[in-house]
Amino acid sequence: MSTVATVSDPATPAQVWQVEQVLALAPRPSSVAAAQPLAVPSRWAGIGCDERAVWGRCTGGSAEPYECVVDHVGVAFKCSCPSRIIPCKHALALLLLWARGQVPSGETPGYAQTWLANRPDPAANTPPQPSPLPPKPAATTTATVHAASPDRDPTSSRDDRIARMAAGLAELDRWLDDRLRTGLADPVLAQYATWDELAARLVDAQVGGLANRVRRLAGMVGSHPDWHQHVLAELGALHLLATAGRQLGLLPPSLADSVAATIGWQVRQADVLAGVPHTDHWAVMGRSDTREDRIEVRRIWLRGLHSGEWAMALSFAAYGQSLDATLTVGSLVHADLFRYPGALGLRVLLGLRHGDSSFDGAASLNDLVASSVAGACADVGAAIAAEPWIERYPVCLRAAPARRQNRWLLTDATGSVPLVEGVTGIAALLACSGGQSVAITAEWTPFGLVPLTVHLADRVVDVGPTADPSFLAASA
Amino acid sequence: MTTLLVDEYWNQMVTVALLGTDRRDPPSPPSGGLADMAADDPQPTPSQRLLQQVAATTVVRRAGLMPGEPIATVAPPADDARPITPATATATWRRIITDWPVLEDEWVLTIVRVGRRLAPELVSPLLVRHRTDAVRHARALVAAGPLGNWMIDWSPRLACTAKQPRNAPAALEMVAELPPLAIVPEFEEMLTAKAFEVASRLAEGLATAQFGTAHRAVLVNLIARIPSASLPAVAKALDRVNPSSPSIGHAFALADLAHLRHHMLTELEPA
Repeated sequence: MSTVATVSDPATPAQVWQVEQVLALAPRPSSVAAAQPLAVPSRWAGIGCDERAVWGRCTGGSAEPYECVVDHVGVAFKCSCPSRIIPCKHALALLLLWARGQVPSGETPGYAQTWLANRPDPAANTPPQPSPLPPKPAATTTATVHAASPDRDPTSSRDDRIARMAAGLAELDRWLDDRLRTGLADPVLAQYATWDELAARLVDAQVGGLANRVRRLAGMVGSHPDWHQHVLAELGALHLLATAGRQLGLLPPSLADSVAATIGWQVRQADVLAGVPHTDHWAVMGRSDTREDRIEVRRIWLRGLHSGEWAMALSFAAYGQSLDATLTVGSLVHADLFRYPGALGLRVLLGLRHGDSSFDGAASLNDLVASSVAGACADVGAAIAAEPWIERYPVCLRAAPARRQNRWLLTDATGSVPLVEGVTGIAALLACSGGQSVAITAEWTPFGLVPLTVHLADRVVDVGPTADPSFLAASA
Repeated sequence: MTTLLVDEYWNQMVTVALLGTDRRDPPSPPSGGLADMAADDPQPTPSQRLLQQVAATTVVRRAGLMPGEPIATVAPPADDARPITPATATATWRRIITDWPVLEDEWVLTIVRVGRRLAPELVSPLLVRHRTDAVRHARALVAAGPLGNWMIDWSPRLACTAKQPRNAPAALEMVAELPPLAIVPEFEEMLTAKAFEVASRLAEGLATAQFGTAHRAVLVNLIARIPSASLPAVAKALDRVNPSSPSIGHAFALADLAHLRHHMLTELEPA
């Protein structure tokens, strides 16, 4: 029995999805678990993709392989497997392979052509631009193609999405208002369902970035004696985003880009790669792994030796997958980086690598100038002034670990700043520094600094939070 | 608008947020930017006023991040003149504990024997790993030097939790000695045999499938204890075992063990 299904449209033409987008389609967590073993090229034959679809034959339990096609533009699935679950594990596995860049471009096979031919033309209701960002040269061709079809309104789908987002943001603001009216001591806040239902509605409204923040907030309730303070501050940040997200047109372009990205607009990699590269010798300063919902996120913090600017490369891994390990802390990469749009523009895609070398701790760090504690605070303040909702920002400072009232801090002559309580890496930081002043790369968070790297004279020690190895593939 | 005023205002807002604006009105903002914003964009309900002020005050407090007073640094550990293990040895240790933990005792004892000390980043993981084993924990402390006990002072979870105190005489004797491994009598002669004899016997036994799965554990123990001078020849011979041999898997694994042990010993030798 073949299964054909269509769901709402979270994608844009020719945009390779990200792993989170694929996972968001899973009807239940077990679907992801079932798809993982199939998301390896060896289980597939004849896989390929084009601007419209991704397809392949999956070797399963039956004698004949299952023929699976996913329309990633119109977002629909067809699979010859008997499963009634939509999308089935084969479709999810195929999408995971595609999201990880393991599906080559190819010519559409007959079974996919037949199905796609009976589907509505996605060009009829797909926007020419996937985001509210200023038009980029790479998108010109798409816009021209749509202009050639006078009977289609290329902006209608985008307008629909903007309307859905605005409605979702308004609902979020009402929800926040209700929370402050009834009080944070309201027992409903201790129930995960309260937050999860809101997050689900935000996903429906296509503001997935805020849904993730809401789910993280749920875990904060009751987790700390001062949780009320943390939750209240985060509710304030959500209000800020909900307000800004409904006024994107009134914001300066770079700020509008930041808001759009934070609330959940996806920017196509092709658009990012069409930008002007930032070429430098990039020191891999720190690594930080965090679990967000059902995926492990790795942040690699890079710093230009010549520009002194920070950049962040992200990689994602669902259960059983591997995080990108090509950027090793302590290495130096001569490469082109392409920045995502935004006020801070921290997130980057790695372009052409001109060469790698080692990065010998303190000697090279002199070029980067580790700042004082006060200087690091000023850098963080400036970053927050540019993007008030950021949750992390990298700093490199020269300071010594010290202890006050059962809490570890970093201190120097200009002041002190707390480390996040209980974070991994404090013991290694203490041992490597021996209580003395050392150069440290850390991540600022609203709860304190998270130490990521200790730069010693002869070595660079990675002390950042590490992903759970049992969650990742053995090769990670 | 001072930091103190903003902090006080924030605390008042937290109290109101806890109770809810149905029960208590939000506080008035302190004069300055927050009050100006409230005047410029008045909100119709108490909860909306509070939400607006919470958002603005959160940004003010985060963007105005000020360092606290400088505080006294902790007293450093006593000096340890021994050179630390090379940076590459850290990766070797991680491989040892993952793939061939049988080598870990020798790795730590070699560090002590050659007059090195543990790289600081390994002190905490090693103490945590062996905190339930008095002998190994004590051995790690010797390799770590003064930094080891200094770390325990600051982080008591690194202390030994085994019942036997780490300074017990019996334990101290065991600390300096490589623990014996089970080796069957027929293999014992290989512990003192010449390198080429050990290499050829092992390679031949594996090539002819004389050594199979049942021998794996004892062969691992043997390679972990043969003289270090024999390791290159043994590794080379095991690398050359006929790939069509039924025991080729064991040969590869044992060759890897021999290579790793040889690498770890040469890596730790003083430059």
